[in-house]
Amino acid sequence: MGKIGLFYSFKSKKTAKIAGIIHNAFSGVEVQLVNVDEVHKEQFLEFNQMIFGVPTWFDGELPNYWDELLPALEDVDFSDKKIAVFGLGDQKGYAENFCDAIGIMTTFFEEKGALIVGNFPLEGYTFERSKAVKDGQFRGLPLDQENQARLTHKRIENWVEIVKKEFN
Amino acid sequence: MKVLHDMPVEKIFTIKNTDKELLKKWLYLMTVGRIIDEKAPNYLKQAIGWSYHAPYAGHDGIQLAIGQVFNREEDHLFPYYRDMLTNISAGLTAEEIILNGISKAADVTSGGRHMSNHIGKPEWNIHNVSSATGNHTLHAVGVARAIKYYKGKGVAISSQGESSVSEGYVYEAINGASTEELPVIFVFQDNGYGISVPKKDQTANRKVANNFTGFKNLRIIHCNGKDVFDSINAMTEAKKWSLENQHPCIVQANCIRIHSHSNSDRHDLYRNEAELGYVLESDPLLKFKRMLLRYERLTKEEIHEIVEKAKEEVKLAHRSAMASPDPDPASIYDFIIPEPYPASKYPEGIHNFAGEKKKLIEGINETLKAEFRLNPDTFIWGQDMANKEKGGIFNVSKGLQQEFGPARVFNGPIAEDFITGTANGMSRYNKKIRIVVEGAEFADYFWPAMEQYVEMTHEYWRTNGKFSPNVTIRLASGGYIGGGLYHSQTTEGTLSTFPGIRIVYPSFADDAAGLLRTSIRSMGPTLFLEPKALYNSPTAATPIPDDFEVPFGKARIRRSGTDLSLITYGNTTHLSLKVAERLSREGFNIEVMDIRSLIPLDKEAILNSVKKTGRVLVVHEDKVFGGFGGELAGIIGEEAFEFLDAPVRRVGSAFTPVGFNRILEAAILINEEKIYIAALDLLKY
Repeated sequence: MGKIGLFYSFKSKKTAKIAGIIHNAFSGVEVQLVNVDEVHKEQFLEFNQMIFGVPTWFDGELPNYWDELLPALEDVDFSDKKIAVFGLGDQKGYAENFCDAIGIMTTFFEEKGALIVGNFPLEGYTFERSKAVKDGQFRGLPLDQENQARLTHKRIENWVEIVKKEFN
Repeated sequence: MKVLHDMPVEKIFTIKNTDKELLKKWLYLMTVGRIIDEKAPNYLKQAIGWSYHAPYAGHDGIQLAIGQVFNREEDHLFPYYRDMLTNISAGLTAEEIILNGISKAADVTSGGRHMSNHIGKPEWNIHNVSSATGNHTLHAVGVARAIKYYKGKGVAISSQGESSVSEGYVYEAINGASTEELPVIFVFQDNGYGISVPKKDQTANRKVANNFTGFKNLRIIHCNGKDVFDSINAMTEAKKWSLENQHPCIVQANCIRIHSHSNSDRHDLYRNEAELGYVLESDPLLKFKRMLLRYERLTKEEIHEIVEKAKEEVKLAHRSAMASPDPDPASIYDFIIPEPYPASKYPEGIHNFAGEKKKLIEGINETLKAEFRLNPDTFIWGQDMANKEKGGIFNVSKGLQQEFGPARVFNGPIAEDFITGTANGMSRYNKKIRIVVEGAEFADYFWPAMEQYVEMTHEYWRTNGKFSPNVTIRLASGGYIGGGLYHSQTTEGTLSTFPGIRIVYPSFADDAAGLLRTSIRSMGPTLFLEPKALYNSPTAATPIPDDFEVPFGKARIRRSGTDLSLITYGNTTHLSLKVAERLSREGFNIEVMDIRSLIPLDKEAILNSVKKTGRVLVVHEDKVFGGFGGELAGIIGEEAFEFLDAPVRRVGSAFTPVGFNRILEAAILINEEKIYIAALDLLKY
């Protein structure tokens, strides 16, 4: 497994905390932390395996730091890249768009040629609708710190195992 | 199969491909808007005005977008009280916004009559809407009906906050647009609050637009109302789709409310620091500027230049608006209701025609048909209006649909507010249009339409004479049919308390025909009350000249006398005539005056009758307490006291609901015997 880029906002709180846990779960693997608030598109080209941390804001939106960045990546070819996405959401308070941001991100990068890895089963989640769901599974790792915080560590552990295999 | 709500929205405008001049224009409009939005509270602090200001900051993307897709030549726009940037984006100047805010005479919306922040420009089809938030959805549907009928090229765009979607009339509007397949765009600007009420307390669905997913012919688009490009793309798609398909569309725009609801609200009482912080971080204007810089579409210097230009425009606008005159207090009686059709063929509303007698129902039916033949821009709808041989709940409109077709004569849903509100809306399309509605199956069921009734009475005054709905509201009224509580009500006591509408209540076939003709031909709204107990009554039947017309405000003496005046209208005209006849056999000479028209009222005729007889009995079917007779008695007492030989008396129904059992009904409604006793008392006074 080559070097992994772990992209998230260093200004974020919950997402940054989860990124830290994921970072630790990849012990023994070189993971470089990249601050999305200041990132340039060239930095994406430095990695063949990337993990993106993306919470869902409001009623199903990307946070500003990702939303304002994506147009810069429209012309980038990601066809030799593997991308895994995790995101925080609230399946009770925002059941209509639980972790939509995962779906927005994976759709975008898939259209740019990336291979999306780290699909995750729906079991254990209760929500109404999510752009993160495709073919009966999540396209990344949804985490719900508002309602299921006690499941977070186990979910990360399981997901990291999946991602590790698919990054290889 | 295409799932309408999942259809993609084409990304026509992006930060990278949008023309630079257009980006500069958008930034300019957004900056002008934001400067005024932030400056508005200062006018209140300095006691200049703008006592109601609902800041739009946080809605910038969607409001810019609404104004940009609006075409004043073809579309109709109904902005709500938070839509300041929508108006600026649609073309209003900073000065026009400030003139509205500080309620100056030159305010293009209403000349300072309407509440500040309710911005519009009727001559551009940017309609001046009510403070009853969301009720303009019905007007948008009504005008869209006209757009479709006349094959117009535009759409109606209605804008509102997400909380006002809770109002029942919004459901009625969307249901109607879906049923009639009309080109309306309903924009829900969702900032999460109705003043302090979070949207979870409005409806179970976080995205209220999704409550409507089961509606046919309706597309729902969600967008980020904080993002200029997402909003412009959503509105562009909505308009294109609505025009191409002639169907309605909802655009739900997720916004944030950066400030309090208005300047009478304090959002720190119900929003925590974290929330207040993240809404500030999501400021749409700051995001737009960041994007312009990040993608090198504008330089810092270019942005600075635009901001300075905007500041200058607002500064000059402020100076000019401050120097502009206030409204003249002497103008308060201007534009209450437009001048009516003069009805000059029969200046007193009386004829000598001696042809075949026709029933009251025939008089109305034949007048409707005659007016519909004469004016191709006439329309009628209501519940039970037309289905095969049925035409109206009492068959008053029988045969109209067969002759004039379903586009001009059609059924409405069981939604009185919709029936009335879409009449108001449709008549906005052009001044030729004349609309008749059966406001409800029975007058008793008109109460759900009260809000649109009030609205109709406000329009002409509120727009400073720029718009008045040309609508005749027909209501089958009154009792004496064994109808109980909800098929017996007389409503004029309540409905006559609103300035801005004419009210007539004929009691004979010829007057019904003549007043209906005048109502339909007049500008402005008329409430046409029909005594349904008399529809087929031989005593109400009269000869009717084909061209008969009765001017408003002309009472008719149905029996001349010198001893006592019975002032009456509707069903009780006939009871009064019978009493007069009975008393004449006892040697009294009784005058019976049918006022016919409650607003305007023929005061002169009433006072002349009082001067002649010196005794007055006001007779009406409605309850004495709170009935229209109180006004009549008050006027007579004030203006003809010295001519009176006895106190003015009133008789009417008991102050109870109307019972269903005929024994109860008879005990409650006014009858011949009660009128007789009161009249005799007065004669002997």
